[in-house]
Amino acid sequence: MSSQNPKRVPEEASDPSLSVTLDGETVDARPGETILELAERHGKDIPTLCHDPRLAPAGACRSCLVEVEGSRRLIPSCATPVADGQVVTTANDRIARHQKVLLALYLADQPDFAARGETPGGAQACELHAMADAVGAPTDWPKMEPLRVGREDRNPYVQFFPEACILCARCTRYCAEIESVSAISLAGRGAETTIATADDVSLLDSSCELCGGCIDVCPTGAMTEKMPVTAGRRGHVEPEKVVRTTCNYCGVGCQMDLHVEPAANDGRGRIERVVSPEAGTTTNDGNLCVKGRFAYDFVDHEDRLTTPLIRAEDGSLREASWDEALARTVEGLMGVHERHGADALAFVSSSRCTMEENYLVQKMARAVFGTNNVHQCAAT
Amino acid sequence: MAGLVTTFGAGAMTNSIGEIRDADVLFVIGSNTTEAHPIIAMEMKRAVHRGATLIVADPRSINLTSFASRHLKLRPGTDVWLLNAMAHVICAEGLVDADFIETNTEGFDAVRETVARYTPEEAEKVTGVPADDIRWAARAYATTPKAGIYYTLGITEHTHGTDNVYGLANLVLMTGHLGKPSAGMNPLRGQNNVQGANDAGATPIFYPGYQRVDDPEVAARYEKSWGVPLPREPGLNLNVMMKETGRSIRGMFVMGEDIVLSEPNAGALEERMNGLEFLVIQEIFLNETARFADVILPGACFAEKDGVFTNSERRVQRVRKAVEPPGQAKADWEAVLALANAVAEKRGLTPWRYDGPAAIYAEMAKDADKFAGISHDRVDREGGLQWPCTSPEHPGTRFLHEGGVLRGKGLFTAIEYRPSVELADPEYPLVLSTGRTLYHYNAATQTRRGVGLAEKQPVAFCEIHPADARARSIEQGDLVEVETRRGKVACRAMVSRQVRRGCIWMPLHFAEARANLLTVDDGDIVTQTAEYKVCAAKVTRVAEQPAERDAFPGSFYAVAGPEQGTIH
Amino acid sequence: MPDDHRRAAVPDALERAGGLVPGAARAVSAETGVPEAHVWGVGSFFHLLARPDVDARVCTGLSCQLAGADALLDAARGAGVSCEGVSCLAACDRAPAVLRGRRVQPDATAETLGAEVPDWAGTIGPDGADPDRLAIDLAGEPDWSGTAFAKAEAMGADAVIEAIDVSGLQGRGGAGFPAAFKWKSVRGQPDETRYVVLNADEGEPGTFKDREVLLRRPDRVLEGLAIAARAIGARDVYCYLRGEFEIPWKKLADAIDRVGAAGLFPDVTFHMHAGQGAYICGEETALIEALEGKRGMPRLRPPFPTEHGLWGKPTLVHNVETIACVPAVVTRGGPWFKDLGVTGPGTKLYCVSGHVARPGTYEMPLGVSLEELVTAAGGYVGMLKAFSPGGASSGFLPASEKHRPLDFKSLADVGSMLGSAGVVVCNDTVAMPWAVKQQLQFFEVESCGQCAPCRIGTRFLREALDRHVADPRPAALAQVADVSWEMNEGSICGLGQAACLPLTTAMKWFPEEFGQ
Repeated sequence: MSSQNPKRVPEEASDPSLSVTLDGETVDARPGETILELAERHGKDIPTLCHDPRLAPAGACRSCLVEVEGSRRLIPSCATPVADGQVVTTANDRIARHQKVLLALYLADQPDFAARGETPGGAQACELHAMADAVGAPTDWPKMEPLRVGREDRNPYVQFFPEACILCARCTRYCAEIESVSAISLAGRGAETTIATADDVSLLDSSCELCGGCIDVCPTGAMTEKMPVTAGRRGHVEPEKVVRTTCNYCGVGCQMDLHVEPAANDGRGRIERVVSPEAGTTTNDGNLCVKGRFAYDFVDHEDRLTTPLIRAEDGSLREASWDEALARTVEGLMGVHERHGADALAFVSSSRCTMEENYLVQKMARAVFGTNNVHQCAAT
Repeated sequence: MAGLVTTFGAGAMTNSIGEIRDADVLFVIGSNTTEAHPIIAMEMKRAVHRGATLIVADPRSINLTSFASRHLKLRPGTDVWLLNAMAHVICAEGLVDADFIETNTEGFDAVRETVARYTPEEAEKVTGVPADDIRWAARAYATTPKAGIYYTLGITEHTHGTDNVYGLANLVLMTGHLGKPSAGMNPLRGQNNVQGANDAGATPIFYPGYQRVDDPEVAARYEKSWGVPLPREPGLNLNVMMKETGRSIRGMFVMGEDIVLSEPNAGALEERMNGLEFLVIQEIFLNETARFADVILPGACFAEKDGVFTNSERRVQRVRKAVEPPGQAKADWEAVLALANAVAEKRGLTPWRYDGPAAIYAEMAKDADKFAGISHDRVDREGGLQWPCTSPEHPGTRFLHEGGVLRGKGLFTAIEYRPSVELADPEYPLVLSTGRTLYHYNAATQTRRGVGLAEKQPVAFCEIHPADARARSIEQGDLVEVETRRGKVACRAMVSRQVRRGCIWMPLHFAEARANLLTVDDGDIVTQTAEYKVCAAKVTRVAEQPAERDAFPGSFYAVAGPEQGTIH
Repeated sequence: MPDDHRRAAVPDALERAGGLVPGAARAVSAETGVPEAHVWGVGSFFHLLARPDVDARVCTGLSCQLAGADALLDAARGAGVSCEGVSCLAACDRAPAVLRGRRVQPDATAETLGAEVPDWAGTIGPDGADPDRLAIDLAGEPDWSGTAFAKAEAMGADAVIEAIDVSGLQGRGGAGFPAAFKWKSVRGQPDETRYVVLNADEGEPGTFKDREVLLRRPDRVLEGLAIAARAIGARDVYCYLRGEFEIPWKKLADAIDRVGAAGLFPDVTFHMHAGQGAYICGEETALIEALEGKRGMPRLRPPFPTEHGLWGKPTLVHNVETIACVPAVVTRGGPWFKDLGVTGPGTKLYCVSGHVARPGTYEMPLGVSLEELVTAAGGYVGMLKAFSPGGASSGFLPASEKHRPLDFKSLADVGSMLGSAGVVVCNDTVAMPWAVKQQLQFFEVESCGQCAPCRIGTRFLREALDRHVADPRPAALAQVADVSWEMNEGSICGLGQAACLPLTTAMKWFPEEFGQ
């Protein structure tokens, strides 16, 4: 074989099990898994902020630190692989103090949302504030001078509130490792570190594909959807209705959760935002593209057809009732059928419509009109 | 799809999207995956980050090529040469899986004899791909167990589209990359429910579940089930229907498709549309086709109705009603049901009774083994099921052909190169291909009505190579006229090395610059799918007023091409 | 690998582009293939790239502040010079220092800010030292004979590492880690592509010894690197010099040319890389990231660079002073070196600055006291009040500790550290809160920003101190104990772990100045 041949990835070795002492209990661990993964499998609740199962561990948020015997320092469980004979402690006074003070520092670096009449996280749930509550972090520490200020970005979808950002870098890592777009990066240094595009240009003028994954992975709502913000709905909390459905664009079949305000649009309901299901649970693994996440304005567009239309004698279209429109359709199609036979009719169904609808169209063509002239539009 | 059914016995992705990230070699051909299937492209790029080898065969430099180990930048329409030459290398170097061929296939000898004439050196002359790259790609593909093929319309939208599919299938069969994870042959579906519409029998030759209409046993079963006599001759393919429009076809029902914008050689189609005696369409927006309609029925969009979509990997998933349709608009199934029953009444047939999409699905599944184990209830509970799923206990099928090809024996098909029907000539010296972009969708009736996507990509454009642009005094952003024997449209020039010299490329989404006024409507000999990817064209610069020029927003799209960032 | 090297070219390409001016990120992206946002991320991390329009940068290190850096900054601004403060320029012995372009101007005044800066070096000592009792011998003539290298080649790798082991040589960059341990670890890795990296990113306030070694004994540095490379089985040596070292860079580059022309160290290739302004890159894993052309953010450890270093390969990283000791260890033997020290092995380059008569670099036995060091440097200026024994990271000690041996262990015993042995002396005119603030500001500006305990903690402490100075009540410093504890426990690297020490040690030794 030529040396130019691409490298071969060896088949995974069979998994011998490792023995780890986890909070005093001996448990089996899988080679290659992290202490965090092991602990989660055994029902331990280790707090994390920068962790995402899809991303390489960063160990940057420091919330998941645990004790490992033989290590003088606390170590990040998200980035540390298990080892045979390891002795791990996930909860004790030292870890509790660490969590409290760390979260107190994070909160001190956040704006005073209450004073601004806002909810932390905006439309999203704020993982940071929930975690601070959970670990009992002091909330009375002096607030720090605000440093990171917002920038205008004329892109239509993504709003960044730098002051709420904790620099967990989930968004930049997602953008590089999963979306492989690398439109945003950590920028600056020290306390002035922030998230930015090259030259601070609008996302529209960057390599950004507007997938909105940065919003989905953000634990604080620093990256958030622009439309609720521009509509004055920042701080709007959980919607009343969440509907799991399948995206209506390409053939990947991404699952998505429509967050619906049922009372809006005179009771018709309105889609407020689209959120990807949790990573690892569906084919799209927590991801959506720009169309899936954002392109649903058309649902409520004023151009929607709301009533049947019939071509009048003068060539114009006029509104009609369903009964009238159906009668006219029966007359039209049956007229052709009678004059030219069933095979003078053609039925084009849609790869955009449901399976049930396509089934009914082909059944109608075959069983009611007597022709096999039926084809869905994306015939290949 | 026809090619796949012929070869393997099932027309769908053999493998699953979730397996892509574990692949070791990905051979992507005729698919601008990043723009057409962004989430699948993400998975491919994850595989590359993990160390997988990506081979991209495409006439254009697309986003994926910047992640690829090799880019086989072939001349449009020369796929058969490329694929046969790869097969040549695999046979010549003894990289075939002889056991698999012996046990699971038939027809290999004819293919081996044919491809013997397709040497990489000759292929280089026709395709423009260096012979060494062809050899390298063939070896990489053949010698890696987890090697999968992924393709879309760049393969099928040709007059030799089925040949292309056979060419790919030959590679799969001779290497035995079938019936195992992260391998196989994977057509990526362009619409949310292409797979489901095919599965549901919305084709002129198949009842649901790929059961042929001309199979007497099948027809008899459906006659019994539906209680009416049924036509036994296959009907007309879409492309033939379009050509027969106004001729033998005099009445038409169109649901959820803008045929006038989407079908090829649209100018000629428009003329024939006037010959229809009756046209009814079911739509959510007025579209180009509506200009010819006698009746327009208001439909519901995906968020306003219940049902299932089947994705590219054969996964049946639920669509759920979240909001009400506007005004008197109805879910399409309700409208079709009402229409069918109105006709049934007039013809004295028994009316249909369904209390909802779940009942419709149940009826379909009852007569089609592949879906017999699938129901709305199960999908609700389990979150999605991949057919074949033959009983309520069957867990669904992640990848096809495990332990043997569904058809019994995988069928090799020897193919010979046939040029595209319309080649560049002195009068029309450029080759036009059409395709999609990330920011719009098909006729863009949905995406151009959003506040955001129109901003990212506001105007129609045509990619042209810098050398071809220079020869025509065309600069970036100039207004140009693209003309073929069938029509002409005006759009902006995007001067880019993404296209080969001598080739141009246009997106199909823009109503004001309809690429399909330009395309040819000659179809593949088997599927009749039109050759959207190759026709002869010329481009000229159009003089314009400075004010118009100033209004030009200056950006086309920002899916970064290979020129911007190749290290990831 | 080619992709790795293209990414590594980003900082240089940005420098050539004139820094992070508008459009530079896009141009460098086109040139290197690295996504433009990543280029921007790198450029904005390093202050020499991020702010290319500054004409003069006045050092704000403690020694320069003691020498009137603030007044100089005001005067320069008053004169209309585009200038700003900058972290320690490693010229504390010639304070106040100013960076002009990439060249450090010593002993700067408002009047000389426009003047040309000739090549310069600092004071060295002690006078009358016996060259046969000095490992580096700054005053000695450079030796281009390659004798030590030839001897090492003859001894073989195992014997060389054994000699290093016997010598007891510890890392001179701050941590004091046994050198032989690292050499053995790298040599024992299965991956046969290995690298040696020279850490010449000297930036710890109070420290300037590596500058002096590069200026005076580049021969020792290169020979030490060549010996190390051969001993661990590396071919490529990467020399990372801070970007402000224009003059030392020239000396080292000339030396590389010279040994290359003479064919002195066959099979060893030296590469030079300029830092772009970031103290944190003196941390070895941050340095490796920067060498790879990334933002200089420290990596999580383990794995350590000896297993997983530059481009994922086993890598030996040594400070300039450490590597410069190697030729003498090889030539004269491990026992000779070990015997040079008082309380620990070897001689040590002590930097002394601030309120002393002759600030400079003094090669003295490891374990001399402050009193002995300052005696060599001509005595105190004014009455000794406090001193910082090993850079900002070592905090402060009171005058009562002036007889304590300045070695790794003795200083650790008292909650401080030898660090880089950058000794800064403060007399009784200095208010401790003021001195602490200089150090805290340094850490706040130089934190890489990656982890919260350091990024937020450094700023929190500085703001708390500001509140205390504005309104001296105990409440202002109520959270200091918790925050300091957390910075030490929770930070990724040594910067954050030590950044609280100036405040906590000052509060411990001078409680009355902090209202305690």
